[in-house]
Amino acid sequence: MNLEKVVFGFFVLLAATLNFGFFLGDMRDPDLHNPYELFAAVVVNLIALVLKFGDRTQIGAVHLATSIVAVLQLVGAALMYGYAEYVSSAGMTEGWTSSVVSLSGGALLANLVSVVLLVIETVSFHRG
Amino acid sequence: MGNPLLTFWARRNRREEEERRARRARLLASAASANRASETVFLVLRRMRAPLIVLIAIFSISVVGLTVIPGQDAEGRPWDMGFFDAIYVMSYTATTIGFGEIPYPFTYNQRMWLTISIYLTVVGWAYAIGSLLGLLQDRAFRSALALQQFTRKVARLSEPFVLIAGYGRAGELLGHSMDALGRRVVVLDRNAERIDGLELESYHGDVPGLAADARDPGHLGVAGLDHPCCEAVVALTDDDEANLAVVMTTALLRPDVPVIARATTDVMAERMRVFGSPSVVNPFDLFGDHVQLALRAPASYQLLTWLESGPGAPLPHRASPPRGGRWVVCGYGRLGRELTEDLRAEGIDVTVIDPSPHDDVDDVVVAGGYESGVLAAVGLEEAVGFVAGTDNDITNLSLVETARRTNPTLFLAARQNVPSSAPLFAAMELDALLVPTEEIAHEVYAQLSTPLLWRFLRDMPALGDEWAAQLVDRLTALCGQHLQALWKVRLTEREAPALMPWLASGEARLGDLMRNPEDRDECLHAVPLLLLRRDDATLAPGPDALLATGDELLLAGWPAARRALERTLIVDAVREYVVSGRRVPSSWLWRRLAGTPTADEETGDRPPAPTPS
Repeated sequence: MNLEKVVFGFFVLLAATLNFGFFLGDMRDPDLHNPYELFAAVVVNLIALVLKFGDRTQIGAVHLATSIVAVLQLVGAALMYGYAEYVSSAGMTEGWTSSVVSLSGGALLANLVSVVLLVIETVSFHRG
Repeated sequence: MGNPLLTFWARRNRREEEERRARRARLLASAASANRASETVFLVLRRMRAPLIVLIAIFSISVVGLTVIPGQDAEGRPWDMGFFDAIYVMSYTATTIGFGEIPYPFTYNQRMWLTISIYLTVVGWAYAIGSLLGLLQDRAFRSALALQQFTRKVARLSEPFVLIAGYGRAGELLGHSMDALGRRVVVLDRNAERIDGLELESYHGDVPGLAADARDPGHLGVAGLDHPCCEAVVALTDDDEANLAVVMTTALLRPDVPVIARATTDVMAERMRVFGSPSVVNPFDLFGDHVQLALRAPASYQLLTWLESGPGAPLPHRASPPRGGRWVVCGYGRLGRELTEDLRAEGIDVTVIDPSPHDDVDDVVVAGGYESGVLAAVGLEEAVGFVAGTDNDITNLSLVETARRTNPTLFLAARQNVPSSAPLFAAMELDALLVPTEEIAHEVYAQLSTPLLWRFLRDMPALGDEWAAQLVDRLTALCGQHLQALWKVRLTEREAPALMPWLASGEARLGDLMRNPEDRDECLHAVPLLLLRRDDATLAPGPDALLATGDELLLAGWPAARRALERTLIVDAVREYVVSGRRVPSSWLWRRLAGTPTADEETGDRPPAPTPS
């Protein structure tokens, strides 16, 4: 067992699950989308991104690309959330909430691709 | 295979196959080194992983802590800090900017958490920034950046360039001579200090340099071996083995590019000649040949060294080594061996002094030469020539001085090994001085500058001493004591359009062309050294030499003469004046007014007013 692989798999999977957890629920209802979960998703995705630095293989390059997409979308969602809460006088309206959640949905797709890549990498690995 | 058509196809296919193989090898070579550059960048990214993850983790923990801990607003009501405020506070706290407690004064609970966070985050930032700066200082990273920059510079070269592998003293001299000719140079050397020194040197053009081992085909590939503009490769490292590697690489990857390599032994020269047809330069062999030439024809030798020294060189002193009498050679190394052989081949008596005994040569005195009485014992009083040829400059200097004391009329020659002793040797005022690196640089320059000069230098000794002396006199009378410029002129439609009708008349004499366009009674300050018609070369053609279309001329003279001659070659009116003395109008309007359809059919009528072009 390779500890590096465990850590890598853990963060990639955790990034996807946290993202999924935030995305789950009615798109228009802000109460169903916990900001702490969004924060955790951003942080874990950032860590997954850094973990993917410096891999020279083709699959490593695609891994990195998916992570960059996910991080960009999640940071976008967080920025919109911050804007709605602090700048906009209306607060978290239905419109803002659905924008934030749909952005995180995009990130979820990228994270799913990442997980699929991880599974493909594992399956195609032959011992000996 | 009896069918000629089939043979043709088979041959064609084989050639294609060979070309494809060479192309593939070339691609592999450059890809290997490009990979190495990006590998280092990946390594840097990989090494930044740990600091970045630590930073992210510390930052997120402190932010979450701030949002969770209950606070109070200005009126003392309970208030929870949002994510935005928390990230804002942590950002300025972690980077030690410290704006204070925003938006409301913190509670003690919050302050406690912030105290812990400050220590955590500052350590995290310091770690990340420290690692990044450390990586930027990293040797491997810097060399990867330098390699990338060098690759870009070489790839952007769009004019022919010479690739010099080994930038020692010889490489430097050669680089400067080529630069003075307006040619581009790319440099490769193992020593990083030599490459760094490139920036301080006064080159006209930009000289890309890379500190790398020339033995690696990848490095040669990056340095432009696979570049279509690479016109020649010169291997001048001080390691014969490395030079052989360069010759090999070039012969295998770019068989079409000429190679010039330095070799100090005959064995190595033979090994190099196995690969294609490289031009091998052996400094000691060369010096021996030069001494032979100097013995036979001092003026030819003087002319040879002058032309080889490159633009701006002063006329060297005409040394005439004495023929009748005995020579004493100190040091029987590579130089001593060559020199003794060459001198004996000329029928000259040679006594050799060397610290170690040698069986392959007669008349050897086993001694260092500096012991008291040794020089007297070998009969230096009666000798005519003395050569200090050891590989130690201090020994050579002391030997020469001792010999001069013993016999002031001696012809003195010495070998200079390191550039820093040059002033000492100059102060000695020797009759002949061998500097192996300069010898190489001059020879390579002669081969590379123009094929015509190389041809001239090879054919020139055959014409004798008298002829060479006359040519030296002509050169000094017309152009002075310094060699100004050396250039080639091709009498073709492209380079000399104005000359075409005149050349076609069959009456075109060189003497008529070499006149000053300002005043044709004055001759041009340039001497034609060589006239090449297809394969026939005429050395130093006289004023009566007939010119024809397609001839090539090698000229030496003032840069101003070069510009003047160029005008004669291109502007019809100038050519007409220079050749026949008639002033014809050069502008379209005046030609129309004068009613002259073409300038060369002018009948001698003076136009109303001569117009400058």
